[in-house]
Amino acid sequence: MRNFRQNCFASLATAGLLLANPAVAATPDAQSRFDAANKLYEERKFAEAAGMYEQMLQSGSGSAAVYFNLGNALFKSGQMGQAIVAYRAAEVLTPRDPDVQANLRFARNQVQGPTLRPGRWERWIGTLSLNEWAMLAAGAFWVTLGLLGIMQMRPQSARALRGGAAAGAGVTLVLGGCLLLALATRPANRLAVVTARDVVVHNGPLESSQTAFTVTDGAELRVLDRKDDWLQVTDGTRRVGWLKRREARLLADS
Amino acid sequence: MESGSWNTGSDRGHRRMRLGWACLVVFLHLSLAAAHAVRFTTSLDRDTITLGESARLSLTFEGGSPQDVPVVPSVANLQIAYVGPSSQFSFINGQVASIVSHIFLVTPRQSGEYTIPAFTADAGGTKLTSQPLKLRVLKPSAPTPEAINAGAQPAFLKLQLPKKEVYLGEVLTCELQFHFHSSVQNYGNFSLPPISPPGFIAGKPVQSQNRRVQIGNAVYTVLPLVMTLTPIKTGELSAGPITAGVVVELASNRRRRDPFFEQFGFFMSGGEQKQLSLVTEAEPVRVLPLPAENVPPGFNGAVGDYRMTVSVSPTNVATGDPITVRVEISGRGALEALTLPEQTAWKDFKAYPPTTRIETTDALGVQGTKTFEQVVSPESSDIRELPPFSFSFFNPEAKEYRMLTQPAMPLAVRPGGVTPTPVIAAGNRGSGEVAPPAQDIVHIKTRSGAMATLGPPLVQQTWFLALQGVPVLAWVGAFVWRKRADALANNPRLRRQRQVAQLVSKGLDELRRLAAAKQSEEFFATLFRLLQEQIGERLDVPASSITEAVVVERLAHAGLGEAGCGALHELFQACNLARYAPVRTSEALAALVPKAEQVIAQLKELAA
Repeated sequence: MRNFRQNCFASLATAGLLLANPAVAATPDAQSRFDAANKLYEERKFAEAAGMYEQMLQSGSGSAAVYFNLGNALFKSGQMGQAIVAYRAAEVLTPRDPDVQANLRFARNQVQGPTLRPGRWERWIGTLSLNEWAMLAAGAFWVTLGLLGIMQMRPQSARALRGGAAAGAGVTLVLGGCLLLALATRPANRLAVVTARDVVVHNGPLESSQTAFTVTDGAELRVLDRKDDWLQVTDGTRRVGWLKRREARLLADS
Repeated sequence: MESGSWNTGSDRGHRRMRLGWACLVVFLHLSLAAAHAVRFTTSLDRDTITLGESARLSLTFEGGSPQDVPVVPSVANLQIAYVGPSSQFSFINGQVASIVSHIFLVTPRQSGEYTIPAFTADAGGTKLTSQPLKLRVLKPSAPTPEAINAGAQPAFLKLQLPKKEVYLGEVLTCELQFHFHSSVQNYGNFSLPPISPPGFIAGKPVQSQNRRVQIGNAVYTVLPLVMTLTPIKTGELSAGPITAGVVVELASNRRRRDPFFEQFGFFMSGGEQKQLSLVTEAEPVRVLPLPAENVPPGFNGAVGDYRMTVSVSPTNVATGDPITVRVEISGRGALEALTLPEQTAWKDFKAYPPTTRIETTDALGVQGTKTFEQVVSPESSDIRELPPFSFSFFNPEAKEYRMLTQPAMPLAVRPGGVTPTPVIAAGNRGSGEVAPPAQDIVHIKTRSGAMATLGPPLVQQTWFLALQGVPVLAWVGAFVWRKRADALANNPRLRRQRQVAQLVSKGLDELRRLAAAKQSEEFFATLFRLLQEQIGERLDVPASSITEAVVVERLAHAGLGEAGCGALHELFQACNLARYAPVRTSEALAALVPKAEQVIAQLKELAA
């Protein structure tokens, strides 16, 4: 029974993923470029490999594997922050890929100093992508309204369907709540990853402002506000400060 | 003559004066000579004292004073401290006598017979030497329990040990208690020689909270000093006797105390002062050797109860780079004596002498944390981990050896100058999150998989939001349908109206088909039934009861015009005629269909 439920859940999630992220099979050209980038990686030409993966993404030939490999190439070339951005992009496409999770965790563990650590709820919500939550909530919504419609059309079966409709409504509410939570904790535009080696976070959006704290390459920070070329960030504790926009990368940029 | 006589008398007077002056000069000479004969003596106020007490040594110069304070000779186990000078002048029978004394305080450290050597002093260019002095120092003795119980002792000293049997190296917390009888009005000027019982290392005494106790019939104020004793050799040892001196003020009947000064805490404001030498009993302590069985490897003599945490940083290094291994040993024991055990498994590392830091949490310094920072550097890039670290100690309470072990910690060691390959840092990052034992990132994927782009989420796409309207619309449609069905079920007239309209609609089509097929009988039968149904529905009467004779009149009243009535009449007549003279041509039959449609349409417009 548990396996059945897990299978159902996985099937729904997969269906949602397919619907949510319209995917097409890789063209021969895209596959050949992917192989060429992999070859550079194997030759330990990490920077060149990363450049080639980037080109693929810019030309629209992106996939979770491309983001994943890009993360690896950036990681190996010492660009911790950029690697984390790539891994998180891959995570958006395949949130339950164990390889992506492992490398993301591995990269995060290398980051020294203040950084944002996802909470328990955020980690749980992150097991499904935002689109998957949307599909699940929509599916439950459709099923519930379908049952209600049948109850209108066939009054004689209303009594039998009433329990199912109530359960469907409950599931819809729960999934809707999860969807809202996922939307609220969505990293895009709210999360910045430091991409410079040692970055000074100032008390104000000015070069002359005093140092609030320092962060290192790969530190994940929550964006609170923006002003000109400055981002107001926090590391999840009470530390708040401003850093230059060019020293970090917003996840929306990926 | 007078002059001569006077002169004679004057000469005699002059001679007498000269003689007087000569006597005076001689006297002064003798006096000065006597004064220049400086007398130098030494004395002790007591030649027998008890250990813990002090004797007063006076160096007295009569008839002069030395240019400098005499040099104090060194005597083993005898502390001689200079107090200060004292001068005294006196006139006795016209003679001036000056006495200068230099006072010293002599405090013995051990009992026995002492000889204070002769002092030498230089007074007015004359070297003076005193006589040696003898000082006898007696061993103090602890008072008997009977004397304590009876309150006969104004003060006594007691050493309180928590147990009499300890292990070598075990830290023993004991209490040295000064007991003052309630008759003691005040006490002070403590002198506590360095405590060093043979076979023990004593810690620094720390004063604790005063308390009052009743012993026998007497009440004593206890002034406790807490200290540690650590045995450094095995066998039957004795913690004590420990001696101490104190000056107490006992109630005196001779003088009344002044409560005014007493309230300001002036010491010795009234009572009788007395210097006491106190001594404890010799407390026997049996010091056991550490068990020879089950001694863990690497045990280096630590005794106590400890915990250990180890952290390593950094964990991603090149060969030769320093790695700081931070070992924190917390607990209770001789923290000062703790040392890091030799780690034989670290043979692939070059180790540097560790630095230590002690943070104690109690005044005695036996509870706290000792932190070792050991710097090691890997000598090979083949190293994958820092081997396990072990620290063992003997727990005297549990009477067993215990070993604390930190598991091996992963390291990434690369040859010098190679791009770093980061590894997971050692140590737990969170209570619920266990770091996986990964050494490197997962390798790249070889298949690109399905292409997908990172676009805006579904909830921000219009088509997706619009799609969610479909089930809502469907449900609304079903709801409306249901409402209409319910309304129809509750209105038989309306239901009949709709049934008839449906029947008529189908019947007209049937009429056209029958006309085309030249089926005359069926055609007129159908026509007649359609008219019956439509008229019956309008007049709300059963269709079977409809006849031409009945309905025309009622229809005329209902508003059907003459033309309509005429057309209806014609149709009814045609139906009747067809029974006897059937129409054979399809054109004739088809010509009746429009008429029937027109009549039915007029009937529908009638008010129900």
